[in-house]
Amino acid sequence: MCMSQTMSAANGLYARRRRRNGVVLTLSFAATAVGLGILVLILGTLVVESFRGLSMKVFTEMTPPPGADGGLLNPIMGSLIMTVLGVIMGTPIGILAGTYMAEYGRFNKITHVIRFINDILLSAPSIIIGLFIYELVVAPMGHFSGFAGALALAVLVIPVVVRTTEDMMNLVPKELREASSALGMPRASMIAHISYRAARAGMITGVLLAIARISGETAPLLFTALNNQFFSWNLNAPMASLPAVIFQFALSPYADWQRLAWVGAMIITFAVLALSILARALSGSRK
Amino acid sequence: MSIQSMENPVTHIPNMTVGHVGESAVGKKEKVSVRGLNFFYGTNRALKNINVPLYEGMVTAFIGPSGCGKSTLLRILNRIYDLYPNQRAAGEVLLDGKNILAPGVDINLLRARVGMVFQKPTPFPMTIYENIAFGIRLYESLSKSELDGRVESSLRRAALWEEVKDKLNTSGLGLSGGQQQRLCIARTVAVKPEVILLDEPCSALDPISTAKIEELIDELKSDYTIAIVTHNMQQAARVSNFTAFMYLGELIEFDGTDKIFTTPSDRRTQDYITGRFG
Amino acid sequence: MEPMEKRSVSDFAISNASVAQPVSASLAKALRRLRINDKVFHSITRAAAFFVLFLLSAIVVSLIIGAAPALQKFGFGFLTSERWNPVTENFGAFAPIYGTIITSLIAMVIAVPIGLLITLFLTELCPMWLRRPIGIAIELLAGIPSIIYGIWGLFVLAPFLQAHVQPFLIDLFGNVPVLSTLFAGPPYGIGILTSSLILAIMVLPFITSISRDVFEAVPPMLKEAAYGLGFTTWEVVRYVVLPYARVGVIGGVMLGLGRALGETMAVTFVIGNAHKVSSSLLAPGTTIASTIANEFTEAVGDIYTSSLIALGLLLFVITFTVLAAARFMLMKIERRQGCA
Repeated sequence: MCMSQTMSAANGLYARRRRRNGVVLTLSFAATAVGLGILVLILGTLVVESFRGLSMKVFTEMTPPPGADGGLLNPIMGSLIMTVLGVIMGTPIGILAGTYMAEYGRFNKITHVIRFINDILLSAPSIIIGLFIYELVVAPMGHFSGFAGALALAVLVIPVVVRTTEDMMNLVPKELREASSALGMPRASMIAHISYRAARAGMITGVLLAIARISGETAPLLFTALNNQFFSWNLNAPMASLPAVIFQFALSPYADWQRLAWVGAMIITFAVLALSILARALSGSRK
Repeated sequence: MSIQSMENPVTHIPNMTVGHVGESAVGKKEKVSVRGLNFFYGTNRALKNINVPLYEGMVTAFIGPSGCGKSTLLRILNRIYDLYPNQRAAGEVLLDGKNILAPGVDINLLRARVGMVFQKPTPFPMTIYENIAFGIRLYESLSKSELDGRVESSLRRAALWEEVKDKLNTSGLGLSGGQQQRLCIARTVAVKPEVILLDEPCSALDPISTAKIEELIDELKSDYTIAIVTHNMQQAARVSNFTAFMYLGELIEFDGTDKIFTTPSDRRTQDYITGRFG
Repeated sequence: MEPMEKRSVSDFAISNASVAQPVSASLAKALRRLRINDKVFHSITRAAAFFVLFLLSAIVVSLIIGAAPALQKFGFGFLTSERWNPVTENFGAFAPIYGTIITSLIAMVIAVPIGLLITLFLTELCPMWLRRPIGIAIELLAGIPSIIYGIWGLFVLAPFLQAHVQPFLIDLFGNVPVLSTLFAGPPYGIGILTSSLILAIMVLPFITSISRDVFEAVPPMLKEAAYGLGFTTWEVVRYVVLPYARVGVIGGVMLGLGRALGETMAVTFVIGNAHKVSSSLLAPGTTIASTIANEFTEAVGDIYTSSLIALGLLLFVITFTVLAAARFMLMKIERRQGCA
């Protein structure tokens, strides 16, 4: 009697616990659906909207004045040039710094400080980097330039590459380090021939992620490279970039500019997503 | 004294066949002499006043329960401990009469002269050929054919040539564990060291590979001075001329291997080799 | 036979420190080359590592120099004044500070529970084979450039909110005290609330990915023990996983917050860029980052430019504080795992 009462009370309690569990699980399912739904919605909108503006002209013609026909050749080239330059300038510094932290300075206090500062740089607002390069390069030179834009992007590349390089080289087993030292290999040869080789896939992933990050960046380009209606190889002059053109065209009242903005947005998004998927595939195959 | 389970209990000590007839220290040249050696991990003293010789052209085995400091001692002989902070050695380790712990010693040259093979096989992430050629190229500029010859002779020396001669350009990581370990030995031999340190080289291997490596050690000792750390007493008895027994950071006894395994002088040595503790 | 060999150490005087048999000339040359290589490489990598430190200091210094004129002119009032008048060259940062903080806070209020629920789904409910694809899909949200969120927010989300959600909110809370002011005024579409929603979407993947890492770091034994006691999934998460992962989750949330505070382009598209503090969440406003993005290239006059850089300095100080706190917490977690 007493026993069965406890049981039924417990059953009531248990039913309540199960209900609560059910509610939370349903909510978690819904939250995931919302997250995925938004991704699909954004990508879907991009495809649908950009489809109307997509043509070969996008890749062969310059940005038009309002009301005229044109393409995105100059911003695409500008983005490519500045991204490549930014990566070329930023990657070596990042790799070398990461190398120091994982190898020579592995047990130094300063490495902790550098790691902390680098993490701050990694997530610092990119617009601040833009202001920094403006102060450093644009203001003294007196004009905007593609070179300044590339510099700003390089500053964004460095912390990403530092982080992945250090992480990946830290994964190189210490047995391998000991074995190569035991052959009389100096640290530098060991790093060049053993550590880099063992960590290569991860380091390439890092560079890809850095490219993905900077190819979509707008804020730091706004007051460094500015924009340019035409294409030029001149790094000492303002240079167009896809994000800056999207910014300008999307906020304009002209329908054909807005259409081109969507096309640009689509190009950037799929380039960036392709890069990050490639990076993931690379780091996944390593495991 | 606490009795711990032993990994390889030796059950028939009295009947055990000892591979070498008693060696005497008389007339042998000391290739390496360890004198008054202390070692510290931070403030923790891991080795206490160690004195021991490695005789030229002989195999010296270091045995003792885990944590006794035998691997630590080995890692001092080529200063591999230098890779880590807070590890410090005090005392002297003389290689041909010169103290390798002295400041200003070229560590890389030291390590080229005192090679080391580790517990886990550690092939480099490159081809079999490169694994061996790499160390050679550090110190010598050889022609392609000279280099090929050195790679081949090193692999033959490590009894691996026949197994890998057709796949020299495949990754060293594709070999079996025993082959990898022999590759590591070939790699060590290739840079022509004078002393070879073996840190439990067979502990990760199957019995057949172990037998091959032991055979190899026996052949190598004609040209090299060898020190081997092992937790397997039968192995120590099979391959070594001299044996040092270590316990709790101290060197308890050093003598000819047959002497140690038949009539040890110290009670603790006897306890250990008869399996009283391990 | 003596058990140990003992010889006096002093017999062996050390005359030459180098380990040497006669070293051949070519070997000596090879050695010198290797040693020099190593020294050079060591110095180069160290210089690169210190460059990272230098970079952050240079950023801080350049911001301070650039901001100095404005800060000298307006003093502490720069922080509290709501005026922003380029014509009279009178600038105060209160409206953008308010906008930055309020949009980020609302974004976190929305994103944290959703992020944790997604994490719960991914770590406890989702079948193994689906975990990786869904996890990657959610993380792809982080890979989409912020300008895309901006253009999507402006052309898709804002009109939708304007037509369907905002009128409904205005009607719903019209007669409720406090809430009626929060949701007052015409439905613009763009404004504080829309920006917060976009920010929430953008920080979602950060929260999810970090809390996933810390959730998965909870020792399986703990969870199994709790399940063994008859805990439901929710109870395991609530009473075992969350307490264990708390510091890490907070670190992840702070990291997301740092992101939201500094986010520029997406917000610039949808916030409306109005330099005023409005009590309604539906009204347009501005944030520090979007003010800079919008006005910097058009700013004429030293004080105007300097005021914008001062805003940048302010943003840097705020995000630095938040990010530093986040990193400290995550470092604590890493250290704990490192010891385990």
